[in-house]
Amino acid sequence: MSKEQLNKLFMPPNKLKAKVGGGTFAGLDMAAVQRAEAAMETLKVEFVDWIAKDIARLGDAYSTFVANRNANTGSDLFRAAHDLKGQAATFEYPLIARVAASLSKLMDELDSPELAPLTLVQAHVEAIRVIFRDKIKDISNRVALVLVEELETRTQQTLERAAHSE
Amino acid sequence: MSGYRFERLKILVVDDNQHMRKLVVTILQAFGVVHISEAVSGEAAWNVMRDTNPDVILLDWQMNGMDGLEFARQARTSPQSPNPFIPIIMLTGHTHIDHVRLARDAGVNEFLAKPVSVKAILTRLVSVIDHPRPFVRTNSYFGPCRRRRASEEYKGPERRNVGEATALDDETPVIAKRAAERTS
Repeated sequence: MSKEQLNKLFMPPNKLKAKVGGGTFAGLDMAAVQRAEAAMETLKVEFVDWIAKDIARLGDAYSTFVANRNANTGSDLFRAAHDLKGQAATFEYPLIARVAASLSKLMDELDSPELAPLTLVQAHVEAIRVIFRDKIKDISNRVALVLVEELETRTQQTLERAAHSE
Repeated sequence: MSGYRFERLKILVVDDNQHMRKLVVTILQAFGVVHISEAVSGEAAWNVMRDTNPDVILLDWQMNGMDGLEFARQARTSPQSPNPFIPIIMLTGHTHIDHVRLARDAGVNEFLAKPVSVKAILTRLVSVIDHPRPFVRTNSYFGPCRRRRASEEYKGPERRNVGEATALDDETPVIAKRAAERTS
């Protein structure tokens, strides 16, 4: 067995374990979980302000994209949508997360984000604004669900058409 | 009481979104973490990493400039990396399996899809403390073993050979040797 083989896989010293210890019982520290969940509850009063700012950022990115469609403005719009996709559910707007996921998928999976159809991009941005304006937090809201599913379908169709035209 | 002395831990949170940083920092503080640094980009994180020598990094993917993926690659392989072994937990809105593979190939230890949950963050944190992955050096990769701990169980002839960090010798990757010297 060569030295090279021996060095392919090795375990560095676990200095982290030595530093913080722990692991004295199986399972998660539920007291820590409860403390953190309580801390998150105290933050909830700020969530509405946070998501409003994230939606405003998306709107700004969309306006810039409309005024000057290029890879950079498209990338900024993608990142704004991607942030909402990741955070909106935490901020109690899961349907906004779904619309943002559809928009970020559209912007990400085309060859270049500036190829995204403006009408479809606009429909996503407007849907997010409406869901927030009407405070729709319920994932079973029928009207909102129809809207979300339609946007997801249109995004999928657009991506499939783009793939076939290559 | 878990026995984890989180107050001894130094964590760097890298995210360009201030709301996500505040959320993650609040959760970490509730766990008992006291020493928390923040950075808004890969470039800024690089400087903070050098200045504060964190124990763990919570890293966003999508950022302006150097993104999380590139930061992870640099942290693992750059000769200037302050700690190529540092545990990196990637916290991202990406959820597709292809993204998980990309993160894994960049040297990320744990992948955590947003939206964040308290339990998910604690689970990943405990994982890098209690169940660290062995490190691998190949011609094209240096970082945590990308196979999910299966190597601990399979003893057949096709497995990689396992050595101990204390047995590093002249053929050990230069980066790994340098880091081992620095942390010893």
